[in-house]
Amino acid sequence: MNAVSIVIAIFVVLFTVGGLFFFTTSTIGLLRFPDFFTRLHATGKGDTLAVLFSLIGIGIYEGLSLTGFKILLIAVFMFLAQPTATHAISKAGMRCGLQPWKKEDNRK
Amino acid sequence: MIRKTDDIIIRTVARILVPFIQIYALYVIMHGHYSPGGGFQGGVILGASIILLLITHGLVETTKKISERAIAIFSSIGVFIYAGIGVLCLLLYGNFLDYSKLSVILNVTPAEARSMGILGVEIGVSFTVMAIMISIFISISTTEDHSKYDKEHY
Amino acid sequence: MNTFFLVIGIGLCVLVFFVLYRVVFGPGVFNRIAAISAIGTKTLVIILIMGIIYNRIDMFVDISMVYALLNFIGTLAAAKYLEIGGEK
Repeated sequence: MNAVSIVIAIFVVLFTVGGLFFFTTSTIGLLRFPDFFTRLHATGKGDTLAVLFSLIGIGIYEGLSLTGFKILLIAVFMFLAQPTATHAISKAGMRCGLQPWKKEDNRK
Repeated sequence: MIRKTDDIIIRTVARILVPFIQIYALYVIMHGHYSPGGGFQGGVILGASIILLLITHGLVETTKKISERAIAIFSSIGVFIYAGIGVLCLLLYGNFLDYSKLSVILNVTPAEARSMGILGVEIGVSFTVMAIMISIFISISTTEDHSKYDKEHY
Repeated sequence: MNTFFLVIGIGLCVLVFFVLYRVVFGPGVFNRIAAISAIGTKTLVIILIMGIIYNRIDMFVDISMVYALLNFIGTLAAAKYLEIGGEK
């Protein structure tokens, strides 16, 4: 292994493990937070960042090719689409009359 | 009846994304022999892009772009292309959908004629799948004659 | 490097099973839709990692793209349907 491939491997491991870390935090948020809006807050932001990190890691591993360009395209698409989907669900929940959680309430 | 969304974020993002989704669908149709995909899958993506337009911009605004009459015509054209290529092969003394016989008309070798023939069939399949998906979505989301609703709120 | 990606993929699969708790027991339909959207996001990365392990990432990247697209449209359609149902 020469020096360049070792540096590339270090970056791949850093970004992919970072993606797995943010996936884990968003899952913990989805399981532990008290109500719908806070859970959506955890998954909406955490998953977007985690997908971005994982795709950058896999893209660096793949290198400059058509496949790497397509992975970049997926990253751009997810960066546009995921916040929009989160916004749509949260607005539908608000229209349906879900109340945000207050500090005095019990966990539901 | 499908209302249009009153949310400007969803409408703007859908308007930005729809052309790129359609270009990707054309890529899936054209590269059907080398990569996963083909006529059916590309047609589904094309139909999904129009369905995205339907659920964000409403029925009235979308049927201005592609009317229900045009959808019916598209579904017939797809079947016509598929069956037409098959019958053309029959007329050239081959089996049904035997593309290598098309080399007489296209003036190429039989191997290239097979590649072009299957591309034509995939284009026909994608037309039909796209039109049928849109028409199923419109049929299950509207129950009555929707021409009598007022155009302002829908 | 293959072993590393295998470990990452197994970790993501375990996370999908944790999110499945929210899909099955989550109170109300909105929690379930949020959890299904999160599962779709994780599946997209799992498909790419499967492509690296099988050495055919040029095939799997197309499937991953279509999965992302249908996940987005499905979430929007579900949100739209429930928004109309909530107006009464």
